[in-house]
Amino acid sequence: MDIFVNRRRVLGMGGAALATALMPRLAKAQQGQDINVGVVLPLSGPSAQFGINSKNGLELAVEELNAAGGIKALGGAQIRLIVADSTSAPTAAATAAQRLIAQNEVVAVIGAYVSSLTLAVSEVMERRGIPLLTISYADQLTERGFKTVFRLNPKASTLGQAQVTGSIEIAAASGAKLERAAILYEDTAYGTSQSAGLRKASQAAGLSLVMDEAYPQGITDVTPLINKLRASEAQVVFAVSYLNDTLQIVRTMRQQKVLLPVVGGAGGFILPEFASALGELSEGVLSVNSSNYDLDEAHAKRYRDRFNYPMVHDAIEHAALIEVLGQSLETAAATTSEALRGAVAAKRFEGGWLDGMPGGAADFDDTGHNVLAEPIMIQWRSGEMATVWPTERQKMKPVWVS
Amino acid sequence: MTMRQTFLLICFATLIPLALEPNGYYIRILTLALLFAALGQAWNIVGGLAGQMSLGHAAFFGLGAYTSTLLLIHFGISPWIGMLAGGVLGGIAAFLLSLPTMRLKGHYFALGTLAFAEVFRVIANTWSSLTGGPVGLSVPFSEPSLAMLQFNETRSYYYLMLAAFVAVSMIFVIIVQGRLGYRLRAVKEGPDAAEVIGVNTTRVKIHAAVISGSLTAMLGTLYAQLNFFFDPDTVFGALQISIRIALIVIVGGIGTLFGPLLGALLIIPLEEFANVMLADRAAGLSQLTYGALLMAIVLLQPQGLAEFAKKLAARISGKVMSSKTEART
Repeated sequence: MDIFVNRRRVLGMGGAALATALMPRLAKAQQGQDINVGVVLPLSGPSAQFGINSKNGLELAVEELNAAGGIKALGGAQIRLIVADSTSAPTAAATAAQRLIAQNEVVAVIGAYVSSLTLAVSEVMERRGIPLLTISYADQLTERGFKTVFRLNPKASTLGQAQVTGSIEIAAASGAKLERAAILYEDTAYGTSQSAGLRKASQAAGLSLVMDEAYPQGITDVTPLINKLRASEAQVVFAVSYLNDTLQIVRTMRQQKVLLPVVGGAGGFILPEFASALGELSEGVLSVNSSNYDLDEAHAKRYRDRFNYPMVHDAIEHAALIEVLGQSLETAAATTSEALRGAVAAKRFEGGWLDGMPGGAADFDDTGHNVLAEPIMIQWRSGEMATVWPTERQKMKPVWVS
Repeated sequence: MTMRQTFLLICFATLIPLALEPNGYYIRILTLALLFAALGQAWNIVGGLAGQMSLGHAAFFGLGAYTSTLLLIHFGISPWIGMLAGGVLGGIAAFLLSLPTMRLKGHYFALGTLAFAEVFRVIANTWSSLTGGPVGLSVPFSEPSLAMLQFNETRSYYYLMLAAFVAVSMIFVIIVQGRLGYRLRAVKEGPDAAEVIGVNTTRVKIHAAVISGSLTAMLGTLYAQLNFFFDPDTVFGALQISIRIALIVIVGGIGTLFGPLLGALLIIPLEEFANVMLADRAAGLSQLTYGALLMAIVLLQPQGLAEFAKKLAARISGKVMSSKTEART
């Protein structure tokens, strides 16, 4: 077997490699007066829909900011979003971040929606000292002592607790006392980590878990699960899944007259497609969420008019990140990453697109965690999501059928 | 290729980063390509020489990444030592996997190994107290140093991966030229004939598997140190690791020394550029283009790029006739 090559082949390979090596120098384009902001989001693969909603929110907020005169402290500089696809692989997400930094000289990066992607991107950002603004939930994002990560949303564990305590409070308001709960979750990274938080919160709240069951994502027949659920005599079911499984579970439950309240853990429960696919079966289903469009109807209407789609939480929160970024650039009055990072860390942000957040404001502590972030609970009512918990954020009184 | 030419090629590879930004995009892609070339070369020992299509190398890769990172997190042990520990575990895992699968042939072997890696992925996802579960592991941030295998510049990682590729390739060459190489090729050409002439085929296959698994695990450590974050689906993923490694070698040229390098230098940038150019056009267009190109390459050049490069070089130098006689059928 000939495993060697000859000299010409070596020269040929060398020439090709050299050509590749020289490309970046040639490709480096002139940058205008714009301020480049990197965006890394999953625009292909299983999370693409979330990435697209997020991107729409960013684009609308940037358009409005630029139209209103850009960053005044910087002579009306315009923000320019440089969007890269993270795909669904952490390695690719980190590569995309490195590309944005090296080729587009971005002052900050926004992304990457999925926690595992954001964690990979954050490793690149921290080593380069460039701020990363994110809405990802994973607790560990702000638990590694990083100086450049800023997370707008509540932590995953806080959301898990809210799913339990919110349910208990809503049930109590209608005179029911919750004692027995069931957990149903898909057997994925998302489902497993969310359910762990739920389990902990349920135990802390003194709920007994009469059913705690994982099922494979894309399950074809949920009937056995629903039969087991009926037999378990649970008073509430906490469900964690993306859209397709969510639809099957709720549909089968309701068709088999298993009418106990369903409380979702975001995911597929807070997508407009949930209501359009289930019709009236969606009525009354609850879910934990990190923001909702009825908290700021003026902004949400502009989004809906523009994209002909409700302003889902991903869009609200990403628009709010642009608000944070814009206000930081005004304060910093500079485009260096260090000045910008300092401004994001120091300032308290409110107004504008932040009105759509439950706390209406953002203030990041030393770890980059937004201390004003609050989880909420929404309920599907006549095909729309209404904020029903906590009471001080309530737009509609919750209905609890037990 | 003579020693001198090989030496020149390595010198050239060490000069490439000087033309690139030390923390740029292109150097990262080349770094990833070199890592995958090294992985391909390690796979080549089993897949190329013994002719056994393993689709389970992610098991060893992930084992290496987890071993060194867990040792670093819990005991502050340098990834260099973690890498050796991972290499030992990778070798043991390969040995254990070999016992039942060495009797399988063709597709059955591929399926068996594929399932083996999936088992590891599921364990890593569920055994949260040890592995951190589905949220993954972050390599602790430390001051850049060679001792802790952590650098600020991608350029340093480029040299690390280059060294890894050269090292794995040297092991490959030593095996090819040694007794194990002859025995492996005998097994590949005809296991029954090999047994008849006195080759202990099971033992030979296990030797190759253990070396390959151990090297793959060590490369897993390097990946963890390059990316600083990984989760079970990334390092134990069939598509992202196992199949991609096999694909690189198949496209590059199975059993050849330069096949893994050529394959990785084509596939890793191709994936990346298809993604960059086409991601914003239409959903899935980049994957579609990437897939179509790969199919075209495999159809047009079933023996791999190394063979193509050889033919091309022969044609340029007017040695078309000799290449025809040399070409394997």
